[in-house]
Amino acid sequence: MNVIARRTVRTVIGFVSVGVVAAALTGPVLASHVHVNATVPSDGTLGEMIRMPVALQAQDGAPLQGTTVVFYLHAVFAGVTGQAEIGRAVTDETGVATLVYRPRLAGHHELRMEYVTPGEGTVEEVSTAFDVSGGKQLYRPAARLDIPGINGGLLIAVLATVWSILLWVAFRFIAIARAGGEAMTPGQHKTG
Amino acid sequence: MVALNEWQERLEETALAPVRRTGPRFWALVAFLLAVIGWGAYAYSVQLRDGLIVTGMRDRISWGLYIATFVFFIGISHAGTLISAILRVSQARWRTPVTRLAEFITVVALICGASFVIIDLGRPDRVLNVFIYGRWQSPIIWDVLAITTYLTASVTYLFVPMIPDLALFRDRLSGKTSRWRSGLYRVLAIGWNGNVTQRRSLASAIGVLMILIVPIAVSVHTVVSWIFAMTLRVPWDSALFGAFFVAGAIFSGISILIIVMAILRRAYHLEKYVTEKHFVYLGYLMATFAAIMIYGNISELLVHGYKFAEGVEFHFRQLFLADFAPLFWFYLVGGLVGPIVIALLPATRNVRGMVAAAILVTLAMWIERYVIVVTGLRVPLMPYEPASYAPTWVEWSLLAAGLALFALLIAVFTKVFPIIAVWEVAEDHEATVGASGIARPAALETKN
Amino acid sequence: MDDETTTRSPAVTDTSQFDRRRFLRIIGLGALAVVPLPVLPELIRAAGLAEGQPEPVHDMSAPARTRDGRIRQWTMIIDLRSCDGCQSIGQPPRCTAACIEGHFAPEPMEWIEVFEAELPGGGTRFVPTPCQQCQNPPCVNVCPVAATFSTPEGTVLIDQERCIGCRICMASCPYDRRFFNWGNAPIPPESLLADYSPEHQVPAKKGTVMKCDFCPDMARTGTLPYCVQGCPQQAIYYGDLEEDIATNGRVVVAASRFLAENDAYLLKEDLGTKPRVYYIPGHGEAVGRDAFTPDRQPTEWPWMERAEGAVTWSR
Repeated sequence: MNVIARRTVRTVIGFVSVGVVAAALTGPVLASHVHVNATVPSDGTLGEMIRMPVALQAQDGAPLQGTTVVFYLHAVFAGVTGQAEIGRAVTDETGVATLVYRPRLAGHHELRMEYVTPGEGTVEEVSTAFDVSGGKQLYRPAARLDIPGINGGLLIAVLATVWSILLWVAFRFIAIARAGGEAMTPGQHKTG
Repeated sequence: MVALNEWQERLEETALAPVRRTGPRFWALVAFLLAVIGWGAYAYSVQLRDGLIVTGMRDRISWGLYIATFVFFIGISHAGTLISAILRVSQARWRTPVTRLAEFITVVALICGASFVIIDLGRPDRVLNVFIYGRWQSPIIWDVLAITTYLTASVTYLFVPMIPDLALFRDRLSGKTSRWRSGLYRVLAIGWNGNVTQRRSLASAIGVLMILIVPIAVSVHTVVSWIFAMTLRVPWDSALFGAFFVAGAIFSGISILIIVMAILRRAYHLEKYVTEKHFVYLGYLMATFAAIMIYGNISELLVHGYKFAEGVEFHFRQLFLADFAPLFWFYLVGGLVGPIVIALLPATRNVRGMVAAAILVTLAMWIERYVIVVTGLRVPLMPYEPASYAPTWVEWSLLAAGLALFALLIAVFTKVFPIIAVWEVAEDHEATVGASGIARPAALETKN
Repeated sequence: MDDETTTRSPAVTDTSQFDRRRFLRIIGLGALAVVPLPVLPELIRAAGLAEGQPEPVHDMSAPARTRDGRIRQWTMIIDLRSCDGCQSIGQPPRCTAACIEGHFAPEPMEWIEVFEAELPGGGTRFVPTPCQQCQNPPCVNVCPVAATFSTPEGTVLIDQERCIGCRICMASCPYDRRFFNWGNAPIPPESLLADYSPEHQVPAKKGTVMKCDFCPDMARTGTLPYCVQGCPQQAIYYGDLEEDIATNGRVVVAASRFLAENDAYLLKEDLGTKPRVYYIPGHGEAVGRDAFTPDRQPTEWPWMERAEGAVTWSR
């Protein structure tokens, strides 16, 4: 063989290896059949539902039905960072899985959606972010029962009545003491 | 006329006698009672120093003898209400010789009862917090309000009908007794001389009080029962507690009245006025309330026992078969069935029989309060072994001191105040006997 | 004769001479006198009688808040699938031990206590039971002096400076979670140096009541309570219902979802106390416990040898 042939072989090997490397690096993307499109409203309000649709399509554009998408929210609490699962949704016939979610913290949130590709069974994910505004206290402990009139006021009314009557009796003492000056009518016994 | 005057004289002499003469036996009794109270004070000082750990109470059974005794004494305080007020309203004539004793007992029992709550506190130095930070929603505050109101009303109800008798003491004892005593009677008699205006005021005051004090008394022991019934403990979570406790209070009040009456009758020779009839009538009342208590127990026990919800089976076992069976059966048989049998049998329908029944009832009712408190707390709330409770010497000493204080205060009262409602007894006597000394038929009695 | 008898006795029921107007006037006066009663406690406090006494709620730090300023609602979720009563490590339950050491809890108090409950079909499960922090707390309802009180975060605390030791709260708690200082509690000397507050019940005071407080002072600063940190299986989650989040120190979960998907239940729910402690049913199977392995190690306290003159008692 001459130099030309050797060079050609080297070039071909070079291209093939680059192609292999490129294919390896971009393997998942190239190997993935699924095209994901996640749309989240850019701002939600605290305590109100927001819809998070995720559209899954096969590489040929046909919608993927029946795939479960799990939604994770990046969260930090008491010094622990993690991903809390906030829900699951299954894609419908249009290939859209929609999670309806009520955000519980204002600010910027990162959302990760995981799904299993049909056929290959690999777990893939897509991330997005959304913002929540608002500051209303949400959690309401179960309401107490407030019956009008049955409260401390009733107790006070009863007490007031009783003690007023006792006070009236005390005034009888004063009346007796004051009437001590009066004489007995004749014929009366003193201690009768 | 002469007969009536003589009778009146003898009555007044009998009422004055305890105040005129005090024998050595009285002082011996006072010394003994003071010794018991002194020992109780020492026991309390130990408790103050070391904390409630000197008692038998622990986390799982956190109330015991003190609270049981508190409930017992408040229960006894209903003696006065029943006799004085209810019988006065219904114009039962036979009540007159015993009204004063009953009213004494009420006031003294309330004082003793209230002391036991303070003794039970872990931080008695903070008792004023109850007034500074009191919460209307707490059963303990209801207790404080009810007992304060009842004490005030009872003291008033003791004092108001006593005014004419205090005037008698003032007039008959002036110059013949110590200065403080003369001064006391003069002040307390508030210038009574029996004129028309004064009689009217007295009558209206008594009339109002006797009606007012009945609902107050009912509310007091109802509220005491709610200290238990407002919790979620299985044996205590019952709608029946209020009525049940009030019935029990009147029941134990009658029994203590019979006992005190028997003792004072013997000591001060009141046989002519406090007769066998009084004991028998009170015995009948006691038997009636025993029947009411039996009904209450059946209602409570059958309704829970039929279903055996969680915890009830344990409670029934400890009550009827195991740890508390001897106490509980004694209460049922000796305390509830006993007085009915004694009242029904002609052989025991006398002073001795009724006093015996009263002793059984008093003992049984203290036991019942104790059993309610301890068994209520003993039912396990979570999976742990049931705890046990036994009062220590500190608790027994304070119980003895409480009873001694009760006896001492009554003994002292009898030496200072008229032991019999002289004017009421006289009024009753006159209405039945008339000025001629001849018994008048009941139908012709003027409405007095 | 007649004069003597008719004028003799005041008729018991002769009320015809009532001065009705005077009666009503006095009733009115009496009512006016009693009506200020509800503000009487405030008046006394204002008059300085209670100056030495700190108001429990007012004296505490501000309530714990989320990042966006809402008040936290502390909750605990105990995953019984992971709790084996520390059988697998052969020690007394670590949650209880951590709580005792962290709070200097006197012997024999177990503010979080691991009960062994029988399962309906046989076998047992371990149930770590802290104060349930009820939203309808029987203890707060009955306290005569508001020494025990609910906080804005939904926890129930005790002010041992105000408690009078009447113990009606102990009678009313259906979970056996309140403990009394019957004597001079065995506590280590260093606990006496601590600054007392209802959120940090150190040192213990004789004659007052104590209990688990959900470690609010720690939670406010973002630290997990001692029991949560102490559990070797991370079976206890601590969370906030307002932000709907919880953690056991290792993972973060959305609290409502975690509870719903694992069939969480409440203790004695039928009593209506509305506790804040949830339980996920299990018997330690996730950490390899067989339900028919009974008993755990008894709890120990490290104080007696270091507390002079202290006495301990059995519960």
